[in-house]
Amino acid sequence: MEAFIDKQLFQFVAAASIFIFLAHRLLLVRKYLRQEYLAQKSVVDQINSYLPQTQCGRCGYKGCLPYARAISRGDAINKCPPGGEPTILKLVDFVNEPGFRLNPAHGVFQPPLAAIIREDECIGCTKCIQACPLDAILGGPKLMHTVISSECTGCDLCIDPCPVDCIDLVLLPTPKPRYWLTPKIQNSRFNTLETDL
Amino acid sequence: MTSSPQSSPFQHARHSTNNIMLMVVAACIPGISISTWYFGYGILVNVLLSIAFALSFEAAAVSLRERHIQAILADNSALVAAVLFGLAIPPGSPWWIPFLGMGFAILIAKHIYGGLGQNPFNPAMCGYLFLLLCFPLEMTSWHIPSDALSDVQEFAPISLSGLQQSLQLSFPFLNLSTFSSNELIDGLAMATPLIESKLAGTSKLLAAWQTDQSMFSRSSETAWELVNIGYFFGGCFLLLQRIISWHIPAAVIATVLTLSILFYSPGGYTIYGTPYLHLFGSATMIGAFFIATDPVSAATTSKGKLVYGMIIGLSIYSVRVWGNYLDSIAIAVLLGNFSAPLLDHFLRPRIYGHKKGVAGPAGKGSDGDLGMDS
Amino acid sequence: MRLVENIIGAMRGKAGTPIPGGIKPPDYKQATLRSRLMPTPIPRELILPLIQHGSTRTKPLVKPGDKVLKYQTIACSEATGIVDLHAPTSGVIRAIENFAIPSPLNKESMCILLESDGFDAEIDHNAITDYCSLSYLELAKLIEEGAIFGLGGEGYLNRLKLSSGKAVKLLIINAAENEPYITADEALLREKAKLVVLGAKILQAACMAEHCVIAIDSNNTDAIEALEQTQLNCPIELIKVAPKYPTGSEKQLIQTITSKEVPSGKYPADIGILMHNVGTAYAAYQAVVEGKPCISRITTLAGPALQTPKNFETLIGTSVDYLLELCGLNQQDHTMTLMGGSLMGVKLARTDVPILKTTSCIIAASNAEFPPPALEQACIRCGFCADACPVSLLPQQLYLYAKCQYYSELISHGLNDCIECGACAYVCPSNIPLVQYYRASKEEIGNQLKNEMSSAQWKQRFQYHQYRAKKDKEASRESKKRGAVAKTDEAVQSAGSTVQNMLPTFSRESAKKEIAAAVDRVRKRKTRLIASSSDENTESSK
Repeated sequence: MEAFIDKQLFQFVAAASIFIFLAHRLLLVRKYLRQEYLAQKSVVDQINSYLPQTQCGRCGYKGCLPYARAISRGDAINKCPPGGEPTILKLVDFVNEPGFRLNPAHGVFQPPLAAIIREDECIGCTKCIQACPLDAILGGPKLMHTVISSECTGCDLCIDPCPVDCIDLVLLPTPKPRYWLTPKIQNSRFNTLETDL
Repeated sequence: MTSSPQSSPFQHARHSTNNIMLMVVAACIPGISISTWYFGYGILVNVLLSIAFALSFEAAAVSLRERHIQAILADNSALVAAVLFGLAIPPGSPWWIPFLGMGFAILIAKHIYGGLGQNPFNPAMCGYLFLLLCFPLEMTSWHIPSDALSDVQEFAPISLSGLQQSLQLSFPFLNLSTFSSNELIDGLAMATPLIESKLAGTSKLLAAWQTDQSMFSRSSETAWELVNIGYFFGGCFLLLQRIISWHIPAAVIATVLTLSILFYSPGGYTIYGTPYLHLFGSATMIGAFFIATDPVSAATTSKGKLVYGMIIGLSIYSVRVWGNYLDSIAIAVLLGNFSAPLLDHFLRPRIYGHKKGVAGPAGKGSDGDLGMDS
Repeated sequence: MRLVENIIGAMRGKAGTPIPGGIKPPDYKQATLRSRLMPTPIPRELILPLIQHGSTRTKPLVKPGDKVLKYQTIACSEATGIVDLHAPTSGVIRAIENFAIPSPLNKESMCILLESDGFDAEIDHNAITDYCSLSYLELAKLIEEGAIFGLGGEGYLNRLKLSSGKAVKLLIINAAENEPYITADEALLREKAKLVVLGAKILQAACMAEHCVIAIDSNNTDAIEALEQTQLNCPIELIKVAPKYPTGSEKQLIQTITSKEVPSGKYPADIGILMHNVGTAYAAYQAVVEGKPCISRITTLAGPALQTPKNFETLIGTSVDYLLELCGLNQQDHTMTLMGGSLMGVKLARTDVPILKTTSCIIAASNAEFPPPALEQACIRCGFCADACPVSLLPQQLYLYAKCQYYSELISHGLNDCIECGACAYVCPSNIPLVQYYRASKEEIGNQLKNEMSSAQWKQRFQYHQYRAKKDKEASRESKKRGAVAKTDEAVQSAGSTVQNMLPTFSRESAKKEIAAAVDRVRKRKTRLIASSSDENTESSK
């Protein structure tokens, strides 16, 4: 009889230890998920991180952060021409409203641009300096101005204020073509579907 | 610059997916032959029917998905699923059992998800479970020719009349055998010894298990023992060929063995069964070596594989002993499949030069906020 | 001092921890080891790229038409970390212009074309017999002047490796070449073991390493025999490592020998270890003892399309075509040319390109041994790749994430720790070009990172702009309250006057004229624009 009790005790201990092990694992998983959750940014920050930060204001807001706030309050996500389709795709992921194309009222998608001042024509009016959202134009009153090219987002806000039209938007040198490309799946019969995923 | 250059390496090892799948089928052959020897042609008919249906469904699905039919059929993955499914369903099942099962397995469990490599669950076991839920009666009665059950020394199951009976059972509309199919079903339903022990709730069968019996006597107990040994050797062949790794089968077998030793009490409850019965009295071996190791739906890291095997072993034992379903491999494997992505995510090996398996996520936190706006 | 204990443990014959994973491809080394190491005849023309490593050019010191002597410096380094370029033979500079350089794509770069005169006349160089008496600084300087690179194929600069400023505990001379075709190191050791050991001693003295070991594949029996016959005087020890690819890779060899791992993102020097190739040791010997700068290297010419594959001591700048001809290229079998081994090398787009200081191997491939890549099948998650990965990555997961461009997950699965050894793609039963997926992803992640950095910079500037605007507004409001408008006006005027003082040509009249001219220009442009748009309108209305 005693042996039988021992057996039961043994079984109980075994079951309990298995249970404790599993519970511990579950707690670890919970901790991990909690950390992930805590690491998440606020909604506006997250939307803002998807916007291209050109601060061009073509969306109708004064900069990318105000537009991000507007999106979080339910504004349309297709108002950002510098970001173009890639930005919309990221935002679609986020706000769960698929099927938006870029709204042409706000402009068309363009390759990256940069402003350049034709310096001999500049009269030093400082209007572009006031218009630049990034303080990327150097110069003083009645002195020649110039654009810090590395800081210029190509937002074109300085073009309109210039009284003498001496600012040009130029294409940035095209980025180097990709060297390594993801291989194409070859077993599609008509190559209509690109990948299996 | 028009295209990307071809990347190194320029040499390749001899393994190919097509061959791996063929090897798995080859490793099943000992088990299949022993099963056929004992349970008659029903097993073989099942396997062949499943293969035929599986390949047709695969071809149909592939052509719907606009892929190369020949190239995808050549990867033999449908073949493996069909063989495993054919071995799982009871011999003597009517033809529509493999038809529906393979249809579900190939079309829904496999191609709906994107074909080979994308299916989260083992297709063969999905098909099996689908049938088990829909047709419990057909899926739990094992029909073997009448001579086999009694300890008669004639080898009726593999005689011509046995073949006739098997075909009659599979295709009830044919009139091949002198027996009517009803007659066969009435007299010849049986299950694995494990199930019998569970249903009977007595130690009669266990007693029979412990008595000396010659290896080739036609009792269902020794039959299952030998079938399992056949699958065990098939599995060892796969291990030696390095097609499967030892982690999953070892974990499954070790867990089942440990649990059955823990809970086995000779005088007490018989539903627990002996450890030997658990390992060799049912489908444990084919489950551990062939079904649980299906690479697509299993965990892939070594630690993950061990835990995956343990989960399957635990589920096999639990469902068998405390659950309502009679055989548990399919349920256990699907439960394991559920856990596999999570295991792969959490149980990664430690990367060279890192303290953990997880390399730091890029750009976490630092957002460059000056705190000046708003 | 676990490091030293491990070294001692290794010296007793148990060589550290073997790397996890790795592969054992079939060995094709015997064919090239049959014949002796020999120098190539001097080719008629040598092409010497000005960019030897990285992207920084050396500055040519010669003009087309100049006569140069062997060992003469023909291009000098301007930046740190770049070595000089020396003439491999005597002759005439024919041109300094763009020539094709070794690349998988048709890439061209500025090169010096040297036509040899066949005399091989040398410039004066002084040999140093008593190098033992030199200080480590002098040795390092001599090695630097010898224009030596890491000759192992990856081309790390010697200077970076030698003077990292950290105390070096262990110098490893790497002779463990596991690529199935490359035998350059083995051939060098077999023929010139003594010189390599001397070179190793010089390197050890130059970097003041406490210990020095030579690591070699345990199946390179000839080389091991040659090294043992040189009766290595302590402290240089010979360590045999298992012939398993990619044990010869830098971090993996360190793991094998010392059981230590180089932390991710750091260099071996950070844990007190330096590694050099045997070729580098030999070049160091030549540079210090014989006073000859590095103008040649040992290159293996292998492959099934060659009738007599062998190892050559070739001059830098020799054309690949010329070497292939020397080995009897079988044109019919020849399908492609690989540079730098079959597992980590590149496929050359053209063969009229020069041998570089990093070219360890040229393979003339045939269809039989190098079949064209098979059809890529679905990944069945068999895990062979994870078993083969020497860095314990999960290539199947990386592949999945690379395919769906899930870059944050790629990073957290350690894509940046991938050494692109190709073991995963080698074993993959579904013929998936895994390395190509990883390279493409790495490149894409790099591009994205660049964009993200610039957008973060813009964001920061915009925030600062807003902050400044707010401050300005507040300031002006304050000053208005105080009624001190006049003061600020004065300040502006005074600022203007200082500017006028600085610019003598500036005057109000000229400014007015300029403004008038500018307004004129604008008006003209606008009328032109209006005219053209109305033209268009009329056309469209028609």
